[in-house]
Amino acid sequence: MFFDLNVKGSSLENNVKLAKQASEYGWDHINFSYNQNDFKNALNLRDDLKDSLKDIISFDYTLEIKSTNINEIRKAVNKFRNNALCISVVGGDLKVNRAVLENVKIDVLSRPYLKRYDSGINHILAKEALNNNVAIELCFEDILKSYLAPRAKIISNFRDIYTLYRKFDFPLILSSRAESIFGIKTTQDFVSVFKQTGLSDEEISKSFMTSRNILEFNRDRKDLIFRGVRRVNDEA
Amino acid sequence: MKLKVLPPTLRKNNRYLTLDIKTTSPITKDELVNMIWDACIRFQGEAITSNFNLWVMKFYEIEKTEDYIRYKSIVRCQRDFTENVRSSLALTYKYSGNVVSLTTIGMSGTIKASQKYI
Repeated sequence: MFFDLNVKGSSLENNVKLAKQASEYGWDHINFSYNQNDFKNALNLRDDLKDSLKDIISFDYTLEIKSTNINEIRKAVNKFRNNALCISVVGGDLKVNRAVLENVKIDVLSRPYLKRYDSGINHILAKEALNNNVAIELCFEDILKSYLAPRAKIISNFRDIYTLYRKFDFPLILSSRAESIFGIKTTQDFVSVFKQTGLSDEEISKSFMTSRNILEFNRDRKDLIFRGVRRVNDEA
Repeated sequence: MKLKVLPPTLRKNNRYLTLDIKTTSPITKDELVNMIWDACIRFQGEAITSNFNLWVMKFYEIEKTEDYIRYKSIVRCQRDFTENVRSSLALTYKYSGNVVSLTTIGMSGTIKASQKYI
C-alpha cells in the first residue's frame, strides 16, 4: 500500500488533477495538506472532492502548521485536533522540533532539517519522537527541487536521520509534498530514490505502513481512553 | 571495417525503461538525450554513469494540454543499474528554464515488450 500524507492542496480543480495523476502512477491514498489559515475553507471542498474522486483514489486532509511560535502551534493543534486526521508541523527551528516531538497530540514533524546545516534531530529528540509516537517526515520534493551542493546536504541530512532511525526506531514517514503534477512520480521511482539515499526496501515499506497507522489511529482517536485502551461499540 | 558482433555471452544485458515525460514547452529527442545524461551525471557522478550504457531508442509525442506537453520514450540501460537510472531521472525538475517531469512507467527486457506501456 502506497500512502502519501503530504500533497500540497489548493483549488478543487488542481486537487482533482493531482489525485488522478497520483492514482495513475500507483498511489493508493493521498492526503492534501493545508496550512492553519486555509484548512477551514478546505474542509468545505471535501464533499465535492469526494464526488470527483469516487472510485479513483482515497484521500484525506493533513493540517500543516507552519509557525515558529510554540504557543501558536499548540493553539492550532488544540483547535483542529478533532477535524484533522493528520496534523503535521513544519520543523527546522530547534525549539519547534523539540516542542513538536514532546507533544502527543501532533502526528508528524515535517522536515526537521529545513533551512539548517544539520539534520535538526539528535539522540534526545529521537527518543522523544519514539516515546510520544510523533513521526518524522522526509519530503521527496526537497531533493527534487534542489541541485548540486544543497541537494547533497539534504541527502546527507537524510542519512543522519536514518542512522538515528535505525538505533531508536521512531516512526519515519516519506512523502512527496508535490505541488503540481510535475512533482508526482511513480511509486517505483519514489522508492528507488529513497533506496539510493540509503534506506532499505523493508524500511521504506515500513514507512508506508507508519503513514497508514497514523490515519487508522486518528480515526479511532475519539474512542481512545488512554494509549492502548479504546472504547468499542461491540455489544456482543 | 566493421567490428564483428560479440557472442551472446559477452554482450551486455540490457533493460528498456519506458519514460513518461511532461514538459511546459516542446522538446526534441536530442534535448531528451541531453536531459537524461545530465540527470544521471549530476546525481550519480561520471564514474557510475559510465556503467549505465544509456541510449534513447524511441521518442513519441503523446498529448498536448493547457498545463503540459506529454511525451513517452523508451530508454536503454544496463541490467544491474536500472534503480540508479530510475532515481536519477526521477530527480529531474528543470531543463533550460522549463519545468520537466520524468518518471519511469515500465521496464522490459526487449523493445517490443516495452511498447505495451506506450
